[in-house]
Amino acid sequence: MTIRAFGNSVKEGFQGIIRHPLVTIASVTTILLMLLLMSVFFVFSADARYIMKKVGQQPPIEIYMKLNCSNDELNMVSQYLSTDTEHVKSFAMLNPEQNYNRFKSNLGSSASILDDFDYNTYLPYTFTVQLQDPSYAGQVVTNIQAVPGVNKVMTESRVMLFLTETTKVVNIGTAVAFAVLFLISLFIISNMVRISVYSRATEISIMKFVGATNGYIRLPYIVEGGIVGCMSAIFAFLITYFSYARIYDWMMAKIEVSSYYALLPANRLAIWVLVLCLVSGIVIGAIGSGIAVRKYIKV
Amino acid sequence: MIRFENVCKTYKTGTDALKGVSFVIEDGEFVFVIGKSGSGKSTLMKCITREERPTSGMVMLDHFCISKMPRALVPVLRRQIGMIYQDFRLIESKTVAENVAFAGEIIGISKKRLHQMVDIVLNIVGLREKGSSMPQELSGGEQQRVAIARAMLNNPKLIVADEPTGNLDPQTSESVMALLQEINRDGTTVLICTHDSNLVDRMKKRVIEIDDGLIVRDEKGSGYSALKPTSKKAKPDFDEWEMNAPKMVSFDEMCKDLPDFPPSRGEDEK
Repeated sequence: MTIRAFGNSVKEGFQGIIRHPLVTIASVTTILLMLLLMSVFFVFSADARYIMKKVGQQPPIEIYMKLNCSNDELNMVSQYLSTDTEHVKSFAMLNPEQNYNRFKSNLGSSASILDDFDYNTYLPYTFTVQLQDPSYAGQVVTNIQAVPGVNKVMTESRVMLFLTETTKVVNIGTAVAFAVLFLISLFIISNMVRISVYSRATEISIMKFVGATNGYIRLPYIVEGGIVGCMSAIFAFLITYFSYARIYDWMMAKIEVSSYYALLPANRLAIWVLVLCLVSGIVIGAIGSGIAVRKYIKV
Repeated sequence: MIRFENVCKTYKTGTDALKGVSFVIEDGEFVFVIGKSGSGKSTLMKCITREERPTSGMVMLDHFCISKMPRALVPVLRRQIGMIYQDFRLIESKTVAENVAFAGEIIGISKKRLHQMVDIVLNIVGLREKGSSMPQELSGGEQQRVAIARAMLNNPKLIVADEPTGNLDPQTSESVMALLQEINRDGTTVLICTHDSNLVDRMKKRVIEIDDGLIVRDEKGSGYSALKPTSKKAKPDFDEWEMNAPKMVSFDEMCKDLPDFPPSRGEDEK
């Protein structure tokens, strides 16, 4: 295809938008609704992942050292945790006295029964570890247990398992929902465009008879679909962004920003929603239109 | 040159449209394909334009086996063939000039050059003044001349016409035939599928008659019916008729002011 032929096809694509305004409006609305659904799902899953990540980063691992562990052994554990930044977000070491005080404070009004307790004899040094992601727990536990001086490693295994499983379900759910919505949008949009293509079936057959390639015939429709998708994406983004910003303001009025249940701010999500809408919209529009023409170019 | 070698075509429905057709059409010939409805004429034409692929046998065009040509090359083949149809197949949303230019646009001819070429072909078919008209504003004969102009634009080696006069009155049919004959005089092979017995009888060209998927007659200088002695007065020669055609101007004569036009013929012959 020559540059001029390519230019003609692109020009035809833009003209197609104006030529069939009702089909254009119907197509934009269809893709817009699909993209809105996609965006809402994306925002919901992004918030769910964000909350779970914060919850998962709570100290879910506690390392108990042997009662008679040496300073070298404590240093080895500290060194290991400080170097494994890929899995460990942060950690803190508590000496027997700090553990004693924490234990006492947990007992509340009954704390006085521990007044004569010899914490240096019976309480060990401990480390509390925050992980980057709860799914790393198994690996981190195995590695730490091999370090000398470590007595045992406690994990909130059921919580960890729940968090890991939930994160997986949310991720898979998001992917499946995207795929299903994508296919539905593709199907709907290709049927919408088929109406516009049908009205130009004669023109397409004439193009074939004078020697137009399939690519030349398809390109205007692909451009047209891409533009429709782009328009839908921009509308979907604006609606999602402003609606979410409102919801965020309303919900965060009662919740601390630093709370585990705080939502992601709209500005942090905006770019991702925009990219998602644009990519999905353009791809759905372009592929849907390309598919719609397929039947008519087999001449 | 078109060569059919034992071409058979059976449709998915089980209909045998062609049952072993063989013939050769040399460059520059003017050939009528005649036969009853359903005899296989249109299938034969479609095998040349690769709208249909033979079930067996070979269709050769200038030593290229087009029946086995990959799908991707079909557009290239069709650019070498000018196609004319009974229903004209013009795009109603485009002007006459745009309809003609359309054939050049798809192969990316520059705007200026395309404009010149459109002017030339519209002049040849006698519609230069109607370039800005819409097809529906023209008569049937004029619309068919636009279709001929479009078919001529890429200077094809072969023009295939399927019932080109089917929707036209006798007088207009004659002018369209005269135009096709003029194009043929410039060296373009013309293959016409028709039911118009009067025109076939008058023009006395090569006639290939098909019946039930088989060639039953292939005669040069023949008529719609098999050759039989007739008096010249009763069936005058086509050339002696005063045609209602536009004033004929030779294609080469029209192109003399455009040094590199026609675009491909000369190169291909080399």
